[in-house]
Amino acid sequence: MMAATTPAALTRPELVCPAGTPAALKSAVDAGADCVYVGFRDETNARNFPGLNFSRKELGEGIAYAHSRGAKVLVAINTFPRAGQPQLWHQAVDDAARLKADAAILADIGLIDYAARTHPELRLHLSVQAAASNPDAIRFYAERFGIKRVVLPRVLTVQEIAAINARIAPVETEVFVFGGLCVMAEGRCALSSYATGQSPNMNGVCSPAGEVRYTETPQGITSELGGFTINKFTPNEPAGYPTLCKGRFIADDKASYLFEEPTSLNTLTILPDLIKAGVTAFKIEGRQRGRAYVAAVVQAFRQGIDAVMAGRPLPEIDLDRITEGGKQTTGAYEKAWR
Amino acid sequence: MGQGHASAATKTVTPPFSPMLLLGVALRPVRPQLLQPVFDHMLAIIRRRHPDILERMADYADKPVCIDPTDLPFVILLDPNPEDPRLTVRREIDPAEVAATIHGPLEMLIALAEGKVDGDALFFSRRLVIEGDTEVVVALRNAIDGAGIDLIEDISLQLGPLGRPFRGLAGAAIGLIGRMRDDFEMLRTSLIAPAVKDVNAQSARISALEGEVKQLRKAARRGGAA
Repeated sequence: MMAATTPAALTRPELVCPAGTPAALKSAVDAGADCVYVGFRDETNARNFPGLNFSRKELGEGIAYAHSRGAKVLVAINTFPRAGQPQLWHQAVDDAARLKADAAILADIGLIDYAARTHPELRLHLSVQAAASNPDAIRFYAERFGIKRVVLPRVLTVQEIAAINARIAPVETEVFVFGGLCVMAEGRCALSSYATGQSPNMNGVCSPAGEVRYTETPQGITSELGGFTINKFTPNEPAGYPTLCKGRFIADDKASYLFEEPTSLNTLTILPDLIKAGVTAFKIEGRQRGRAYVAAVVQAFRQGIDAVMAGRPLPEIDLDRITEGGKQTTGAYEKAWR
Repeated sequence: MGQGHASAATKTVTPPFSPMLLLGVALRPVRPQLLQPVFDHMLAIIRRRHPDILERMADYADKPVCIDPTDLPFVILLDPNPEDPRLTVRREIDPAEVAATIHGPLEMLIALAEGKVDGDALFFSRRLVIEGDTEVVVALRNAIDGAGIDLIEDISLQLGPLGRPFRGLAGAAIGLIGRMRDDFEMLRTSLIAPAVKDVNAQSARISALEGEVKQLRKAARRGGAA
C-alpha cells in the first residue's frame, strides 16, 4: 500500500468517464462515475469511429439512466465545423440542449459563441481540443462565453495546474487521469491529416480505421497507415495504436519511437497531488474502448478518489493489462524526463 | 491461423493450450454443416434481442467478416447485411471472400462478445489478431460491445421453462472449464519448464556477451581516438 494522505480541506473531484455506446454508459454509471461523456454518431466529436457513439434516442435514454442514478452526462461536440457548413454542429448543440445534457464540451470558438447565444441555459465546458493552457486564454473563454470548466491539455505539470487554478476561479479545471496520450498541441495536430487526409480536428478521427492495415507474418506484425509502414512488432511484443505519433521510425540506422512510445497515462499514484492542486474533475480517456475497460478504470479511480478523501492509503491497482503497449506513465504531470 | 482455414497466406496464430483446444480436436471429424442449426439459432437470438448490432453495422452491409476461433476446426462467416444477415459455419474460407478476418481463441472471442474483456487491450497484448479491412472489424467490435450481450441470459430467455435449468447447467459448465483451464495451465508450465530454463540460461549468456561487445567497442573507440 502507498502512503496515506490527510483529507483536510480537500474538495472531492468529479470522476468523468468515457462511453462510446449505451452499454458502456451503463457500465460507467454502475461502476461509480459521477459524469459520463459521450458523442453523437457523426463527425461532430473527436471519436467519430465506426460503430461507435449515440443516436439522439440513445442519448435521451442514456441521460435518463444516468440522472436516475445521480450521474451527469456531458456531450462532446469538440471538432471544428467545416467552413460555411456549421449546420451539423449547430444541430448537435441544439439536440444536446433539448435532451437536457448536463453540459456540452466544445472546442471551436464560433460554435461556443453559437451555443452561448442560442442556449444560455446550457452549461459549457471547453474541450481539450481548444488547447487553452494559460489563465489569460481560459479567462477569455469564461468572460466572453460563460465557459464554466476547461479541460486542460496534457502538457502541464501538477504545479502549473495549481498555479492556473489559483488564477481562474471560479472557472473549474478538468484533467486527464488515465488513457491515451497526445504529444501534440491538442486540436492542432496534422499528422493523421498528412497521412490519410482525415484528422481528429475536422473529421473526428485520428488515424481512421479504414486507412489502417495489419499484416501478420512469422516475424511479427506490420502496421500501415495510409499506405505508410509505421511500425513492426515482433511476435510477442506489446502493440500500440496505429497513429503516426506512435510510429517507429529509422534514424541513423536505428528504429525508435521519435515522438512517443505506446504508453498509457496513469495518475493513480499522484491523485492526492492533483486533488491538492484544486482540480475539479478527473477525466478518463477512451470512448473508443470497450465496456470492460470502462468498468475496470472507473472502479480503480473511484476507489482511488474515495481513499484519498477518506484519508486512507491509496489502493494498489494493477491496470497493466488494459494499457497501450503494456506501459504506463504520469506524463507531463511529473515531467520525469527533465 | 486456427485449425479451421481462414487464410492460406499465414499460419502465425497459434491457439493456446486449453480445454477448448481439446474440444477442437474432438470436433475435427464433425462436418460443419451439422453445427449450422446452432448458428442459425444464435443469429435469430441476435436479431430478436440485439437488433442494434446490425443497425450499427448498416454501413458495412456488403463486408462479410470471418471469425476464426483458433482452437476449433472451423471458421464462422458473418454477413452483416441487415436485410439478410447470415452466420455460416464453414471448414475453410478463401480470404478473398471476406473483408476481414478476426483470429482468437474461442473463450476469448466469447468474452469479447460479452464485453468482459477490452478489444484494444487484447490487440495490444497480441492475443487477438485482425487482418484485412480494419474499419469493418472496429465497427463490429463496437457494435457487439455496445449491445450488452449476455450469452447465457440470451439463450435461457429463449428456452421458456427450461431457461432456469439451462442457466444452472451453463454455470456448472463454466466452473468446470475454469478448473480445467487451471489444470491445463499447470500441465503446460510443467511441460515447458525444462525448455524455459534453457532459454533463460541462453538469454543470460547473450546479455553477458552483449555487455562484453559493448565494452570492447568502447575500448576500440578510445583506442581509435588516441
